[in-house]
Amino acid sequence: MPEPTVANPSCSPPRTPAWLAWFIGRLGYGLLTAWVISLVVFIATQALPSDPARVILGPDAPLESILTLQRQLGLDRPILEQYLRWLGSALSGELGVSLDSNAPVADILFGRFGYTLALLAGVIALVVPVALLLGVSLALRRDSRVDRWSLSLLIFLKATPGFLLAIGLVLLFSMPHMDLLPAVSILDPDKSLLRQLQFLVLPVLALSLSALPYLTRMVRASMIEALESDYVVAARLRGIPEWRIVWRHTLPNALIPAIQGVALTLRTLIGGALLAEVIFSYPGIGTSLNSAIQMRDLPMIQAIVLLITLGVVLINLLADLLTVLLTPKLRTARRVTMIRRNRRGIQPWWRRSPSKAP
Amino acid sequence: MSEAFSRRIFLGNSLAVGGGLLLGSSLLSGCDGGAAPVDGAALLSSTPIQGGRLRIGIIDGDQSGNLDAHKPVGGGIIRGWALYSKFWEWNRDVSTRLALAEFAEPNADASAWTIRIKPGLEFHHGKSIGADDMLFSIFRLTDPKLASPFAGLVGAIDRTALRKLDERTIEIRFKQGQSFFPLDETLISFGGIVPTDYDPVTNPVGAGPYKLKSFIPGQRSLYSRFENYYKPGQPYADELEIIEFKDQVSRAAALRAGQIDVASGVQAEHSALLKADTRLRLYVSPSTSFTGFNLNLAKAPFQDERVRQAFRLLADRQELVDRGLNGFGRIANDLYSPHDPTYNHAIAQRPHDLDQARSLLRQAGQDGLRVELTTTPGPGVNAALVFAQQAKKAGVEIKVTQVDGSVFNGPQRENWQLSPGATPARGFLASALHNDAPQAISNRSNFHDPRFTAIYQQALAQPDLELRKQLVHEAQGIQHQRGGLLIWGFNDVLDAASTRVGGLQPEQTTFASWRFDELWLNHA
Repeated sequence: MPEPTVANPSCSPPRTPAWLAWFIGRLGYGLLTAWVISLVVFIATQALPSDPARVILGPDAPLESILTLQRQLGLDRPILEQYLRWLGSALSGELGVSLDSNAPVADILFGRFGYTLALLAGVIALVVPVALLLGVSLALRRDSRVDRWSLSLLIFLKATPGFLLAIGLVLLFSMPHMDLLPAVSILDPDKSLLRQLQFLVLPVLALSLSALPYLTRMVRASMIEALESDYVVAARLRGIPEWRIVWRHTLPNALIPAIQGVALTLRTLIGGALLAEVIFSYPGIGTSLNSAIQMRDLPMIQAIVLLITLGVVLINLLADLLTVLLTPKLRTARRVTMIRRNRRGIQPWWRRSPSKAP
Repeated sequence: MSEAFSRRIFLGNSLAVGGGLLLGSSLLSGCDGGAAPVDGAALLSSTPIQGGRLRIGIIDGDQSGNLDAHKPVGGGIIRGWALYSKFWEWNRDVSTRLALAEFAEPNADASAWTIRIKPGLEFHHGKSIGADDMLFSIFRLTDPKLASPFAGLVGAIDRTALRKLDERTIEIRFKQGQSFFPLDETLISFGGIVPTDYDPVTNPVGAGPYKLKSFIPGQRSLYSRFENYYKPGQPYADELEIIEFKDQVSRAAALRAGQIDVASGVQAEHSALLKADTRLRLYVSPSTSFTGFNLNLAKAPFQDERVRQAFRLLADRQELVDRGLNGFGRIANDLYSPHDPTYNHAIAQRPHDLDQARSLLRQAGQDGLRVELTTTPGPGVNAALVFAQQAKKAGVEIKVTQVDGSVFNGPQRENWQLSPGATPARGFLASALHNDAPQAISNRSNFHDPRFTAIYQQALAQPDLELRKQLVHEAQGIQHQRGGLLIWGFNDVLDAASTRVGGLQPEQTTFASWRFDELWLNHA
């Protein structure tokens, strides 16, 4: 009888899981992507006609004024030098000063990005539970009348342009004598966001209505697929209660496409929920980017694009990590190559060969 | 543009085609129609009410702008009306009156101006205003290092000859001893008086009706009442808030929902919607801002005077006003500043005469002429397309090309063959500085005429109204005969406000809703 303190020689000491190494590799790639994109954006802004000095000073500016401002902004320096200077200060956390308003870029973006994140959080908090519930219950009532009508309604929502939905909401909730909610979300910067949640309701609702159909249908389709698999049949034969089969056995397996779906929704929204920002005058970063491009405001463009790139990289990374952790085969893999190889097997449903989903 | 249009259509039609709830809400607001006018009349008394927070919604395009008194960008011009005071201010008929100054007169040949300010004035931070601050402000505006785009308007000022006469008085002279009569009209807009310790970012103080509390570029700025404003008892509101919008539709919704009190500069397309709302009032200011086209004399075929005349004859001005400005405007006679006492009303209105236009083009050997009209996206496109249709009737093919604002105003700006032009309401001499004067800050029509130049310089040196009138009459005769501007209309400026807002009234200028010291709010 071996002593309890002696380790079993056949069992190696607990190693860091292979997915951690894979994760760090992916993180490195993500940062590389961010750098390449910053370079591409810089070159692209150089290719835009006209220059910031001219745009800022407007149509009446005499040539001397423009040349002076160009010198002051360092726009007369070689392009490479301008880029390196920007990169250097960006790496040290200094994002520069907006050419348009002369205010520090970091100050402007701090507030606006916070508002964008709040909007994202609201949309996710609303859409994910609703899509899961709806998707699962529709999958369970597959091909029934409720299912068919709900699907048509979802397709109708999807087909309606977002701004139409948003204006419809405004007309419903905030026109004279129906003013339950504010028509535009002009947030008071002196108050904390939590105290003015009423401004978030309509934008979140409008964005959620546009994102909901896609996610619901994805959950529904993958649930239907999972409910037909062998292990579900086996579980049913063993007499496991239906609720347990649905929520404990099937749903976790059906979640993987949904995670990728949520990531896709987030990726579109993080670049600025322009729809909400224009119709509700919500102060997010989408309109800032748009304005910065129109104004040729290079420090703003660079900072916003960098922020969005990092956001997208992070979202992708988290989604992939969740996928790996939710898939037992990948979670317990010993080598990074196994994750790489097998990840091809967990393609989202829309890329898979003949699907049973409608 | 097309998206905005479809949204507008939707706003207009949704009440008719919407579902039950939408219909319900429209019925409700319909029911209200009978009762509200009484409320409106009762709410609005003629005596200004003190206090409250006045919220102004502005649309600033893509610029977030700054607070600079002398180099305002975007909404900075509107914010400047709250923060800064000047020697003069505008009357409602686009003439000027003294503001901070108690005396401001040119000498006999307008080669020097003497300006004295009222005693006991002070800035927002308590410092009293003296001659040093006056000089500093003019130095700063004309500083080449500041690169203000508006310095060109007062480019005649000789920085080396500015003099302080006493603690409240300065003297301004002009380069090479030249004369410059329209100093008031050119210094008034961007010549805000600021203290010597002024900084547009860290210390944006002036002597305007409101002092700054906070400024978030691209979003909003908040101001509180300046107790020692030079007009006793004004301004009326305790606080002023200027909120920036990106979209006309959402601003109209905010106004209707009571989230803002004034919408400054609304689109003509929204006028019916805003008029129908009994809790709002629409103010139509018949401004003398012109809209027209620049015919570039440096480019073929516009070197030929007959072609320029033909273009001006083939324009159906009434149709341009009706379709390009949605009827909110009046036709023009290729001349600017009709409100100016020196304007030549004897020149007959140019008719719409296709036959003569065709025959002039034939004489010039320009049958089947093709030209390119370059414009920025936005409201100007409508007028450009209407004009292109009209030109077709005279056998001229106009290709309308849209370029973005920074390209339009870029290095090419004086090279467009045909381009839209517009200038806010100013007197004749100042408007010319924006357009076709010899020292114009941007002369898109490249109009250079020796006789015009000579008369214009004489007019600059002529403070006497009657004598100047004769000169301007001749100058306008030249512009009407062979100038490079096709001025087809003067556009109205529309502002909308809640019926709770007082002190707003239509005027000939473009900035009725920016007179923040006059506006008040019935906040009870």
